Amino acid sequence: MGNILEIINLSKNYYGIPALKNVNLTVKAGEIHGLVGANGSGKSTLMNILFGNRIIRETGGYQGQIYHRGHLLRLNNCAEAISLGIGMVHQEFALIPELTITENIKLGREITNKLTNRLFGHKYSFVDKKLNAQSAALILNKLGLDIDVGLKVRNLSTNIKQFVEMAREIGRQDLNFLLLDEPTATLNKDDAQLLLNVLLAMSRAGVAILFVSHRLEEIKQICDRVTVFRDGEVVSRYNQGEISTTNLARDMIGHTVTKAVAPTRTVSNNPAMIFKKFSVAMPGEEIRELDLTVYEGEILGITSLSGHGKLALGYGVMGLYPAAGEVIYGKQKLHRMDSRTNILKGIYVLPDDRQGLGILPEHSVADNIIFTGNQVKNLFSLRLPRPFTGFLDQQKAHRYVTQLVHDFEIKCTAITQKIKELSGGNQQKVCIARALTVNPKLLFVAEPTRGIDISAKEKILQMLIETNRSQQTTIVMASSELDELKRICDRIAVLVEGRLFKILSPDASDVEFGLALAGEENI
Amino acid sequence: MNKREQADKLFHSERLVPIIFLLLSYLAWQFSGLSGAFVLNQVITRFIRDGILVLSLIIPIAAGMGLNFAVTVGAMCAQAALLFVINYQVNGIAGILLVALLCITFSTLAGLVIGHILNMVKGKEMIVTIIIGTLANSLYQLVFLVGFGTIIPIGNEEIILSRGIGVRNAVDLDMYRNTIDKLWLCKLGNIEIPLFMILVVLLFACLIYYLLNTRFGQKVKAVGNSNEKAEVSGINVNMVRIMAMVLSTVLAALGQLFFLQNIGMFDVYTAHMNADLISCAALLAGGASIKDAKIRHAIIGIFLFHTLFIVSPQAGQNLFHNAALGEYFRSFVAYGTIAFALIINIKNEHKQQVPSNSI
Repeated sequence: MGNILEIINLSKNYYGIPALKNVNLTVKAGEIHGLVGANGSGKSTLMNILFGNRIIRETGGYQGQIYHRGHLLRLNNCAEAISLGIGMVHQEFALIPELTITENIKLGREITNKLTNRLFGHKYSFVDKKLNAQSAALILNKLGLDIDVGLKVRNLSTNIKQFVEMAREIGRQDLNFLLLDEPTATLNKDDAQLLLNVLLAMSRAGVAILFVSHRLEEIKQICDRVTVFRDGEVVSRYNQGEISTTNLARDMIGHTVTKAVAPTRTVSNNPAMIFKKFSVAMPGEEIRELDLTVYEGEILGITSLSGHGKLALGYGVMGLYPAAGEVIYGKQKLHRMDSRTNILKGIYVLPDDRQGLGILPEHSVADNIIFTGNQVKNLFSLRLPRPFTGFLDQQKAHRYVTQLVHDFEIKCTAITQKIKELSGGNQQKVCIARALTVNPKLLFVAEPTRGIDISAKEKILQMLIETNRSQQTTIVMASSELDELKRICDRIAVLVEGRLFKILSPDASDVEFGLALAGEENI
Repeated sequence: MNKREQADKLFHSERLVPIIFLLLSYLAWQFSGLSGAFVLNQVITRFIRDGILVLSLIIPIAAGMGLNFAVTVGAMCAQAALLFVINYQVNGIAGILLVALLCITFSTLAGLVIGHILNMVKGKEMIVTIIIGTLANSLYQLVFLVGFGTIIPIGNEEIILSRGIGVRNAVDLDMYRNTIDKLWLCKLGNIEIPLFMILVVLLFACLIYYLLNTRFGQKVKAVGNSNEKAEVSGINVNMVRIMAMVLSTVLAALGQLFFLQNIGMFDVYTAHMNADLISCAALLAGGASIKDAKIRHAIIGIFLFHTLFIVSPQAGQNLFHNAALGEYFRSFVAYGTIAFALIINIKNEHKQQVPSNSI
């Protein structure tokens, strides 16, 4: 079988930071080629290059050659990739929300009226809605899905969206090379298996597939070959039969990760914050009359299924969503949920929505670290008489930020680099650095490790533990990662439908947690 | 459905705005004391004059570019075409064909330029089209106020100011007047219905409906929804946006041509000035929003908006014994509609964003 794709010495830089270094890769017709690597290892960059994404050209193109069916590939946009028979299933869904399922599946390949075809040409020919709907329904049936194809994609659940996106690629007769970016990430096991079967069928029909997944078991199950990426380089390649998940995991990280673990201990009985019938009206994530006590110096984990309120606690304290009930901090009652006064009192909230609320994307790393400290507490201001206060002490800020960037191993070209150019893990480190700058007594964090690769994850957890131990900062950490909570927390509160259901010790078994999350009492 | 949802549904601009316009028009008509036949005749005339201009706004909205206030540029292209042909005194059928040809050429070029500019300022299209319109107006004035008689040779003394440079304020369109207006004229009592012209406007409406339901139309809708997602779906987003702008500008130019030939004369320096405002307001009055506009919004909107436009000065005269107040009410209606529709839009957008924020 011939090579559908051949990549020779491919390199790519973003803003001077290498994303891919001398990558060599081939994909044969009918092969499923797995691609694994930690976040930021260059998988997405490779996908974007192969699909002709505009970002690549706008950031200076790439070096090296790519051959598609023997021809040198030079893509200016995705349309060209599609016309060559290359397809891609996107992780974040490239579906148009206001169009129907049919319109999405058939976009660019609509079946059109024969008469107007002849009159005005294919492009300006009338779209035959009925025939398109039938054809779309047929494709979805192949995927085992029976659904009204006239529904707008906006109203679909994520796993159905995933199937629709898949259907769009399957429906193409000219497809010879398919890129898949974590297609099973949002699916449950049964649905994922369904999708994998479809992929196997496609590969038997001769389509070459490049398959990115974080689920190593799946890679092992369906891939003919698998390539491991680390820091933009190919570190290893295995053939079917030689693939083992432990080897893959080891190659991805490059070293065995020392997992951050906090030793168990006894915590004081002094309450740091007491919530009494606390409610937060965050749409889709409401907290209803929560009673909870946070003790001084502890790390309290908060977990729940999504939509059961774990994220809303921090938002409520920050005043981002209307809150009701009573909150007692130390000895005083908090009357207004206002982030400025709360920060002055020593309460800091790091939200889970890092891009939207956590960072100032267009500002530098340095600005992001000192922003809150300087705005609220004037920590980096020059000491000048009254009307002139507020001027930034550049030297002091520079010294402080340089030290912190070094301590927290924040990877950036300079402290003046815009934070939006950093990877998610480094952005999160900056966020925590900013929180620690104001030296809070009580720190709320939500999903601090979401979308971050394994090694950065452990670094961040370690940072939280150290802060707690060395500065006696009480931490309330909301997360859906049970394993992480169990490693660093002193107690873990489980919320169900916005109410406190149970407080479990980190040593409790997974079964206990599972039952608690489902809102069922132990038998 | 609870009360809140019901209220939301009613408060949706698609229903609320036309209902308010209907009530206002009815009240103003009652106070104006004008006869129904008179108002209807006027509305039909304006439907013909303004129809294609309003329709020209639909495609850019579908492509996600908002209200195209640069339809004034299309209008200016039409006027420029007319002035050039009158200047060189090409008469008869040849003249009409030449006007149409020049009009389409000018507006296509203008549309390409505007499209390119708008591709550089994605997300801020509306404000940019307003500025482009104003800028084009200055250039237009420069050409016809100063260019004629200096750089451009004069071929027709009649349209030139007595000083020998610049075009007169008002130019007669004698040779085009009543050429097609009176074709297939039906009379229903006191009401005159120029069937041919109405059919022409409806033909353009059908053309736009057809275009939006072709493959090209699917692309336009996809681009209107999300630039990024359309891009990765293999659509050349910039190209589609430029085409939408060209179509809109050409339609606007043709619309202005219809407008002017129907009136029979035109003010060289002001005839295009309110083309954007009035057609945008008419479209919004029909229930369109800056994200979603359909043919029916355009047609309903023209009738509702122009009814109010026609009766309000007389209503002002009768109510307050002051016609100027009615004239004032006209501009209040036009700007008010646009402002209201924009606010409702942003409100609705905000509503949709809240749940998507939650996890």
